[in-house]
Amino acid sequence: MGEDKEINRRNFMSLATWAIGALIGAGLGIPAIAYIVGPALQRLEAQEWIRLGSAAKVELGTPTLFKTKIERKTGWIVNEDEITVYVLTEDGRDFVAMSNICTHLGCRIRWVADSGQFFCPCHNGVFDKDGGIVSGPVPRPLDRFELKVEDGQLYILGG
Amino acid sequence: MATRIGNWLDERFGWRRVWEVIFLRKVPKVNWLYTLGSATLFVGINQMVTGILLTIYYVPSPDQAYDSVQYITTQVPAGWLIRGLHHWGASAMIVLSVLHMLRVIFYGAYKYPREMTWITGIISGIIVIGFGFTGYLLPWDQKAFWATTVGTRIAEVTPIIGPWILRIMRGGEELTAVTLARFFGVHVWFLPATLAVLILIHLYLVVRIGISAVPKRGE
Ligand code: FES
Repeated sequence: MGEDKEINRRNFMSLATWAIGALIGAGLGIPAIAYIVGPALQRLEAQEWIRLGSAAKVELGTPTLFKTKIERKTGWIVNEDEITVYVLTEDGRDFVAMSNICTHLGCRIRWVADSGQFFCPCHNGVFDKDGGIVSGPVPRPLDRFELKVEDGQLYILGG
Repeated sequence: MATRIGNWLDERFGWRRVWEVIFLRKVPKVNWLYTLGSATLFVGINQMVTGILLTIYYVPSPDQAYDSVQYITTQVPAGWLIRGLHHWGASAMIVLSVLHMLRVIFYGAYKYPREMTWITGIISGIIVIGFGFTGYLLPWDQKAFWATTVGTRIAEVTPIIGPWILRIMRGGEELTAVTLARFFGVHVWFLPATLAVLILIHLYLVVRIGISAVPKRGE
């Protein structure tokens, strides 16, 4: 044994044992990895048009807050989430829908009418009327939703 | 290169010696029935691995247990496989343990000097049944609920202390969230910890004393 590389009964059995072991290990190991990372890789549920409300409610030149409820399924739990969106229009025809979530670390921003800016209370992030960066640690302008108007109703694309 | 790393490690760990003692030890000429113990161990390891994986998604609370199990089976990739292995492995575990025990009985392998191997084996067998009993409730479907209702009622028939056993098992008079939570805790902590210790002793004894030969006529 040892030096000679020829295949005798003993070597064959040990090789076969290892091979079968590796096969079983892979047979369980690969599904196990898929099982663990699976939900992490799942794509976000298909986006759909969410109705916000009447377009007539938007004041000209002032971001107006819209709240709506949507059902989200996470794992095996169905949640009712509230989506909050600021809608801005300058002329009543072109609308912009902005998320109220600060792009810094996710606090909720709010419109301060006096200064005409969005203000984030967490680290003093400030955005202008269109969601552009004014000051603070914010890395990018406010996120926007795709928006459409149908029969005087505002819809945003989300999920 | 690989041998050099191997040698280097062996100098510190001494695992080659351990390997030889465990796997290259001398065994008497035996038959296939002597593989039943290893088969039980194999399925046991399967139960451990798949069981650990199941806890990643399973939630032991009455309003989520059933849904989380459904989620594992229908939504998670390979979830049906992991749960299936655990489910069928559980039955295989009972069958193999019993067959292993019968072999030991019929070959008289429990006799001197292997009494402690036998005793640790018997306690392990009882724990395996405990695994089956507690695990059966966890999916929290109708079958699970009523099986545990009946099972705990059976325990209640015990003279004098029966009602106490029922209360302790259920964590109260009724089968509730408390029952589910404690069955889960027992299933994933108490029983595995105890079984691990017992099996380590059991295997140590198997290696130390060696396995018994097939008895000869007239013995
Ligand atoms: S989260 Fe808004 S500024 Fe930090």
